Amino acid sequence: MIHVDKLTKYYGDYAAVRDVSFDVPAGKIVGFLGPNGAGKSTTMRVLTGYLTATSGKATIAGLDVFWDSVEVRRRIGYMAENCPLYKEMRVNEYLKFRAGLKGVYGRLRRQRIDFVLERCWLNDVRRQLIGTLSKGYRQRVGLADALLASPPVLILDEPTSGLDPTQIRSSRELIRELGQEHTILLSTHILSEVEMTCDSAIIINRGRVVAADSLENLARRAGEKESLIAVFDHAIDPDLVLDLPGCDRVISEQVAVGTRLRFPSPDVQTLAPRLATLAGEKGWGLRELRPERPTLEDLFVEITEQE
Amino acid sequence: MRSTMTLLRREFGAYFLSPIGYVALAIFLAVTGYLFSRTLVQLTATGPLGIEYPMRQMLGLGDLTEIEGVIQFLLFWMVFLIIPPLLTMRLIAEEQSSGTLEVLLTAPLRDWQIVLSKFLACFGFYVVLWLPTLFYLPVLLDLDWKTWQVGIDPWPVAASYLGVLSAGAMFLALGLFISSLVRSQIVAALITLFLSLIFVVGGVWRADLDSGSLLGKVLSYITVPLHFERNFSRGIVDTRQIVFYLSATLLWLFLTVRSLESRRWR
Ligand SMILES: Nc1ncnc2c1ncn2[C@@H]1O[C@H](COP(=O)(O)OP(=O)(O)OP(=O)(O)O)[C@@H](O)[C@H]1O
Ligand SMILES: [Mg+2]
Repeated sequence: MIHVDKLTKYYGDYAAVRDVSFDVPAGKIVGFLGPNGAGKSTTMRVLTGYLTATSGKATIAGLDVFWDSVEVRRRIGYMAENCPLYKEMRVNEYLKFRAGLKGVYGRLRRQRIDFVLERCWLNDVRRQLIGTLSKGYRQRVGLADALLASPPVLILDEPTSGLDPTQIRSSRELIRELGQEHTILLSTHILSEVEMTCDSAIIINRGRVVAADSLENLARRAGEKESLIAVFDHAIDPDLVLDLPGCDRVISEQVAVGTRLRFPSPDVQTLAPRLATLAGEKGWGLRELRPERPTLEDLFVEITEQE
Repeated sequence: MRSTMTLLRREFGAYFLSPIGYVALAIFLAVTGYLFSRTLVQLTATGPLGIEYPMRQMLGLGDLTEIEGVIQFLLFWMVFLIIPPLLTMRLIAEEQSSGTLEVLLTAPLRDWQIVLSKFLACFGFYVVLWLPTLFYLPVLLDLDWKTWQVGIDPWPVAASYLGVLSAGAMFLALGLFISSLVRSQIVAALITLFLSLIFVVGGVWRADLDSGSLLGKVLSYITVPLHFERNFSRGIVDTRQIVFYLSATLLWLFLTVRSLESRRWR
């Protein structure tokens, strides 16, 4: 549905996005991740026609975002970063105006406005001035605007920033539901959110795609580097532990309850039982022994710090 | 086309939601009201003080040899100069600084539709400013209420309104263009004011300039008060001047479209 090919965008002579290529298949929810300044918003702005790429090509529903810009914009619901809105308008006025801009009129317009007000939990503020809304409510107005013309593609730039925990939760549910009818590209800094809502993720760093895969594959990739955690009541001698078979490295740290050992990339099968025996012999008071799978977050930090 | 209308309606409505519209309206009404009251005094005076063309008085083009005439001239043309930047400064600059331009430019509209809507909206409000002056017309035309006959030649009035609207369009389009270049409303207003000044004082500031020289010709071609003094207020419509206003308007609007387009490349 969204197809990006070798997209490059320079601001002056600073390359914010370099040779970015990815695909978003129809009907999928794709998370767009990256540290601050990675170029997420820039890429989205190129897709929505707000900026023109320096080179490269992007198509949405088969239409080029540069040559068929207006047609592409008709098919996109875009929620910009920080959700800029006209502060002096009322919520329903604003939605009516936006519907008109998007070519939705008459009875359909009324229906759609009622629908999005309901969908984005805005019914109790429909007559309020946008300038007096709290950040979270403004965010919802932005989302409502994106949904107005029921476009096949939604591009959401940090849709859940500034929401309270219950709202984040319901927004995630909403996004999942929307995923059944729309193709969604959403950027976020909250990785657990991606794990919960998205089918796949694209990670970019300093303007380049560093990983793009389905969530299962990314999780598998992250999970490959399992580590073993052991917590003891007493201070221990890490050198004794190092002699155990299946252990090549250990990180020891003092925690409130005693000592915590972390074995990165161990042979868990052989190490775990030996460690337990050793602890019993020495009377170290083994409290906890468990394998730890790195999360997407660890993978994210690892990938983005490598560069 | 309907989306252009939607945008036009919002932009026009925005004048009534912001204080700027009311400020412009208040300044304008105060000054035209003052000029009208002076005109009334002159119209009702007896003897050689009476005036031939009351519309000239309304445009501040009365007797420029007297200090009061000069004050009226300055008042009217200062207001004429200040109103367009007041109306246009926010049109694009505000959207740029608040970020709403991104939302507007990603709506399915072409750039020229956005520029046209914004221009028509400020022009519409400009017309609204002039509407109350229609109440003065019966007096300015010496209308006979029973027969609906006018006692004074109506052409100076009609030509003056035509001039005011077309020259206004030129200044508004200039203001819209400047507003698309900068982020700050104040800066947009100041630059517009400064550039408009060229078209207002150009040929007036040096009375000793040889009107036959090239510079003199160019200046008198672009100086708006001269056009009113020589032609519109006397009931003469010179097509050269109308063509000048309209082509300048189109040029500014065209440049505004290009300026919006160029933002996408930055
Ligand atoms: N208008 C601009 N002019 C110059 N540089 C810009 C402009 N907009 C963005 N940049 C730069 O381009 C880079 C990418 O910015 P972008 O906004 O795309 O990052 P992002 O991934 O959205 O970051 P965040 O997570 O903080 O929103 C940044 O280094 C930023 O400083
Ligand atoms: Mg961003």
